Amino acid sequence: MSDPWLPALVVLSSLLPGLIIFFLAESRIRLRTTLNLTGALVKLGFIGVMLWGVQNGREYVFRHTVLPGLDLVLHADALALLFVSLSAVLWLFTTLYAIGYLEGAPNRSRFFGFFSLCVTATVGVAMAGNLFTFFLFYELLTLATYPLVVHRGTDKALRAGHVYLAYTLAGGALLLIGTVWLYGLAGQVDFVHGGSLSALPPEAAGQLQLIFLLLIAGLGVKAALVPLHGWLPMAMVAPAPVSALLHAVAVVKAGAFGIVRVVYEVYGIEFAQSLALLLPLAIAASITIIWGSLRALFQDDLKKRLAYSTVSQVSYIVLGVALFGPLGTMGGLVHLVHQGIMKITLFFCAGNYAETLGIHKVSEMDGVGRRMPWTTLAFSLGALGMIGVPPLAGFVSKWYLGVGALEAGMPWVLAVLAASSLLNAAYFLPILHRAWFKPASGSWPDEKIPQRGRWETAPLLLIPPLATAAATLATGLFAGAAFSPLSWAELIAVREYLAWIP
Amino acid sequence: MDTLTVLCLAAPLLAAALLWLPASRPLGLRLAPWAALPALLLALAAPIPYEVDLPWLLLGTRLGLDETGRVFLLFTALIWLAAGWFARAWLADDARRHIFAGFFLLTQAGNLGVCLVLDAAGFYGFFALMSLAAYGLIVHDRSPPARRAGRVYLVLALAGEMLILSGLLLVADATHMPAAVACLILGFGVKTGLPLLHVSLPLAYAATPIPGAAVLAGAMINAGLLGWLRFLPLGEAALPGAGSALMLAGLLAIFYGVAVGLTQRQPGALLAYSSISQMGYFSVALGAGLLAPELWPLLLPVVVLYALHHALAKGALFLGVGVAERCGASRRVMLGLALPALALAGAPLTSGMLVKGGLKAGLADLPAPWAELLAALLPLAALGTALLMVRLLWLVGRAAPAQRTSASVVGLLAPWLVLLLALAGLAWMMAPQSLITKALSLGAQLDAAWPPLAAAALCAIALRLRWRAPMLPPGDVLVPLLRGLAYLRRRAPALPQWRIALPSGSRAAARPPQLESQLRAWGTAGALWLALLAAVIALLAGTG
Repeated sequence: MSDPWLPALVVLSSLLPGLIIFFLAESRIRLRTTLNLTGALVKLGFIGVMLWGVQNGREYVFRHTVLPGLDLVLHADALALLFVSLSAVLWLFTTLYAIGYLEGAPNRSRFFGFFSLCVTATVGVAMAGNLFTFFLFYELLTLATYPLVVHRGTDKALRAGHVYLAYTLAGGALLLIGTVWLYGLAGQVDFVHGGSLSALPPEAAGQLQLIFLLLIAGLGVKAALVPLHGWLPMAMVAPAPVSALLHAVAVVKAGAFGIVRVVYEVYGIEFAQSLALLLPLAIAASITIIWGSLRALFQDDLKKRLAYSTVSQVSYIVLGVALFGPLGTMGGLVHLVHQGIMKITLFFCAGNYAETLGIHKVSEMDGVGRRMPWTTLAFSLGALGMIGVPPLAGFVSKWYLGVGALEAGMPWVLAVLAASSLLNAAYFLPILHRAWFKPASGSWPDEKIPQRGRWETAPLLLIPPLATAAATLATGLFAGAAFSPLSWAELIAVREYLAWIP
Repeated sequence: MDTLTVLCLAAPLLAAALLWLPASRPLGLRLAPWAALPALLLALAAPIPYEVDLPWLLLGTRLGLDETGRVFLLFTALIWLAAGWFARAWLADDARRHIFAGFFLLTQAGNLGVCLVLDAAGFYGFFALMSLAAYGLIVHDRSPPARRAGRVYLVLALAGEMLILSGLLLVADATHMPAAVACLILGFGVKTGLPLLHVSLPLAYAATPIPGAAVLAGAMINAGLLGWLRFLPLGEAALPGAGSALMLAGLLAIFYGVAVGLTQRQPGALLAYSSISQMGYFSVALGAGLLAPELWPLLLPVVVLYALHHALAKGALFLGVGVAERCGASRRVMLGLALPALALAGAPLTSGMLVKGGLKAGLADLPAPWAELLAALLPLAALGTALLMVRLLWLVGRAAPAQRTSASVVGLLAPWLVLLLALAGLAWMMAPQSLITKALSLGAQLDAAWPPLAAAALCAIALRLRWRAPMLPPGDVLVPLLRGLAYLRRRAPALPQWRIALPSGSRAAARPPQLESQLRAWGTAGALWLALLAAVIALLAGTG
């Protein structure tokens, strides 16, 4: 139990720069950029230390009692670090991208301030050590993201922000009811391996099932479970870096991550299984997977297609959680990371098409591969990864989900995975076909950034997607190596299941 | 040896990477034809069995060669090497030749990897790389038929991939064995052209530039076969149902391929039907292995040898068709084409005769009624193949004289000659002594001689009497199927507006389906929410 301050420092490393940035004048570009990047790098440093420690069996816990029986706990265990590392690394890339994306745009101090707050909240969600702490950061995340969604200030953006707020606040309310009820029933519920509720008397089973429903519904809003997903496709009016944040780093992930915590560390996977909660969860996830993919097929707006794709892909995580057995757990957890890397690549690229050539629609993408080969290469890697083509990241997730489904005795999940992969192919491959194999149809809709020498677009817009695309390849290709997301997920799965395997 | 193994896979990938940047493109193009050379060397030099573990790669990859893998790697590398050099001359004037070369190399890496890899995830990975990258070869000339072929190919290939993935996951668990076997047979069957799954082959072979078609037909089709060999429980468990079904499908393919092939006008499409027919022999042999596991040890070496023979013959036929197209169907070219044609028909002293004899002997011990059925049908099948080959020679021979291009004749001829030499010699060199002795006996020679002679006689009669074959479109059953779909769409506009192309910005985008908008409607969401809240409060009151 060494060094309780590290988790707090990780939270502060984005909170402090964010707070300072709010008070900076618009013109202090250099100082703002320095603060942003320093915060991101310092955070990565702290996380590196904790990764090393947790790998060697240490745990980092920060505890502050707010009221008797109500503690604020930050707990950096293996599971927390999976999410923290993901969001911290992707935050760095998203910050770089946002600096390039918003060059010369108004209200940048406000934007980057909330941007940092958003990551602060995400890190808090990841390291929350009990339901109360989780709820606090979860709500903070909602509030910090709203100004980003409506950043452009257009009518459409304001409407989307309205819907976003209504959905997520309602979800938060459900989560609050569930949490309070559970605290009333079981006292303070800390997140521990194997869960703590199995000690309750058997009469409470019915209540526990209902509380589970409340918690999952509350979390499912952010995780965009069908039918709670309506806000996500609307929120795609936000600027590209915000979409990247919503879809890959913070918001939907916070929901999915909450479901992971509730199933494994509040209820405990075995107890959840004995309450017959896992099968309904798996079915809900499967419906979401198929429905999201089906809806994505019919979108001509590129970002909207990607948004529905997120609806589908995030539920892979939920599906993995609902598969009883360590392999399914690994599949779900590793997809938390893999989906993030792949989806952020796709959104970066979508942003590049829009910012560089004014392309917003799939039908405008004919021949774009020739004009922007690097962006399109990154997009292709992300899209093929989503389909699950080996050796990219998505393949590793799907393989483990498949093996996990058999382990859990649910072979029908294979059919869901296969159908979803085919649907993914059906909405991604036509895009790739247009981009690479069709000739360009005259001029681009609105070319804003002309080709400059070798650079097909601004360097700060190009480097982040290339880096994350390379990560998509590397996490899949070297999945078997030490310190890959897969090995880390294995570490977590081993620790979760050790809690009840004698 | 380990370095050479890694180089086998790295060489094509590196060459492909060099093609990406305009600056290094000339170097990449120069290296591209050599990319399969390390694999050929490995196939010749590796000790058997040979294994190397790469635990950090993908899900823990194991590369290596056993006897089967070595033969597959040998002919695969040889065909890719020959096709690579052929492509260099064939596409010398093509402005997009670097794109073709890129997909060619990626496909090649996948195909060589399939021969080398020994674990399931790795196999799936290389197989997928091969299947997807081949799309770029098929649509290379960007013509409407090529695009159509590419679409049909891709849809079937993806469906196959999913079946294979499911099969590979299921096969690890004995309780799911029947489902696993079904998935694997059908999934790899897309590649090997099982009946009804075969429709993409004729379109693809006809649309792909000759060097691409040569590797599709010579090398890649056998990757599907290798998948069967690697993952079906051959020789382990008796699965009479699956075995019989596979044998029936094989017999159907053998005759169906010949029948439809005879109606084709394009050499590429005809050769595709010939492949469908030839792959039927493998289905029969593997079906026999599933039906009667005790026969499998005898059948396996013959199957592997048959694959070598068929691959080299098909590769040589395609390159020969290309040579005839570019250099004219001169007597010498036709003579060269006749060798693989005779080999496929199983004429005396060819590799075809060697392997067909072996196959017949291996299948003779099947339980009734299979042994009798096959004894009656296989000679007929040989006659069919011979007829198909005569038809091919006739189609090529009467085609318009060569379109002169600046392509070097040597560049086209040399790779072809290499394949012809390999076809003439390799199978005999690798066959076990017993098989050779049996094949050289007088009875076997006479047995092998009659189908080609009968076919030649039949064709002479047909020419004299001016019979004309009816014309069936390549892809046969696909055509009415697509028409049916189009009809349905016209008659029932309520159906989702899916083109076979799959939507890319379709009209339906404008309106979300009913259910979606209902779910999204504020009223519904709010009501649901309130109902939930009410239930919660009621419950709390109840427990309180």
